[in-house]
Amino acid sequence: MKFLKKIIFFYYREYKLNMSGVQDILTNIVFFFLSVFIFIFSIGPDKETISTVGVAIVWTLLLLSSTLSLRKFYQDDFENGNLLIIHLNGFSFGFITILKTFSHFLFVQVPFLLSIPIACILLNIPNDKLLYLFTSFGIGSLTLSCLGSISSSMNLMNQRNFLLGSVIVMIFSVPIIIFSVGIINMAQNFNSLINILFGILLIVFAINPWASGLCLKLSIENN
Amino acid sequence: MLIVKDLSIERLDKKIFENISLSLAPGNITILKGKNGSGKTTLLKAILNLIEPSFGSIYWKGKLLKKNLYDFYNNVTYISDTTSSLKKLTLADNINIWKKFFISNINDTQIEIALKTLKLDNYLDKKVGTLSFGETKKLEFLRLIIENKNVWVLDEPLSNLDDDSIELMKQTFEDHCEKQGSIIFSSHQNPGIYVTEEMQL
Repeated sequence: MKFLKKIIFFYYREYKLNMSGVQDILTNIVFFFLSVFIFIFSIGPDKETISTVGVAIVWTLLLLSSTLSLRKFYQDDFENGNLLIIHLNGFSFGFITILKTFSHFLFVQVPFLLSIPIACILLNIPNDKLLYLFTSFGIGSLTLSCLGSISSSMNLMNQRNFLLGSVIVMIFSVPIIIFSVGIINMAQNFNSLINILFGILLIVFAINPWASGLCLKLSIENN
Repeated sequence: MLIVKDLSIERLDKKIFENISLSLAPGNITILKGKNGSGKTTLLKAILNLIEPSFGSIYWKGKLLKKNLYDFYNNVTYISDTTSSLKKLTLADNINIWKKFFISNINDTQIEIALKTLKLDNYLDKKVGTLSFGETKKLEFLRLIIENKNVWVLDEPLSNLDDDSIELMKQTFEDHCEKQGSIIFSSHQNPGIYVTEEMQL
């Protein structure tokens, strides 16, 4: 019971922190929409072309925008010692990474999820594809959060090459992109593709606490 | 009771310290003294089971620390040399978060008294980022009061504090000892605090 309370108040803390930095979340969304506009302007007024490549553009930009905030994943809490305090309050490093991954999903990915319909209108994506886009991004974004957690924890002690974290995420997100866009473009294969996507999520979700937890432990040990 | 037995730590093939033994009974204060880089923080981290010792072992309440870790963590507060308060939030928000997250049994009047003694009561609505370094340091001590645990592990608690605050710390340490709490802290200066054991690194 006490442990459950601690988890709830961990999220209360995350909520307070994210609300105080709500402009960061908004900047991500603005970046996403501006990029959508730039794509529209560079493709030109051809409605057909835009609606064919629309899904791919939305997915690529969602991926890019969500990697923008990766640096903040653990960095602040690591530098001010809060990660250690949370650990001493009875959470193992592995468990902290699970909590943090869900917090990233809630406060960074869900706002993107909500802005997808507007992007669909801008890119002339048909309404019947919206459901597929939502499902694929719902699963894909949680996978991206897990990958983000791993890459961000690996880069805690890295003070120079900030882009390295995003590079790691982008390489591993190739299969997610392939199957997600596949779901939307080949609706008749929906079930099999969603199973594969879900499978990828489960693999990454299982690796995440183990890999990130170890990275956090090593970073704190060597700090 | 915490017992450290023949502890040695090597990192990157370099010996940081060897054969350190100490015990921390309820009501005791231990000071770790030593120059910069002598391994004070490393020893404190080893006590918290964050660094694997090369040789030696640590016991908590008669069992190996590793096997009794969560009981130890339930009884220990650690204050590092960084400021752990969240700079983007106000002081009141920080206190509120700590109170909830540590499931503290301290009531509001006790916190108000502590804030007044630390002379922080006028800053409640201010963001922590706007406070001075000494004031954020004092805010860390408020966490000691809020967490309300038995064993305090403090890394350089007296640096950057003015004379009044050091005097206040002395008083707080003595009060904690009277309540059968124990303190281990590192310091490179002699603060004039009553200690039961002095350890030179």
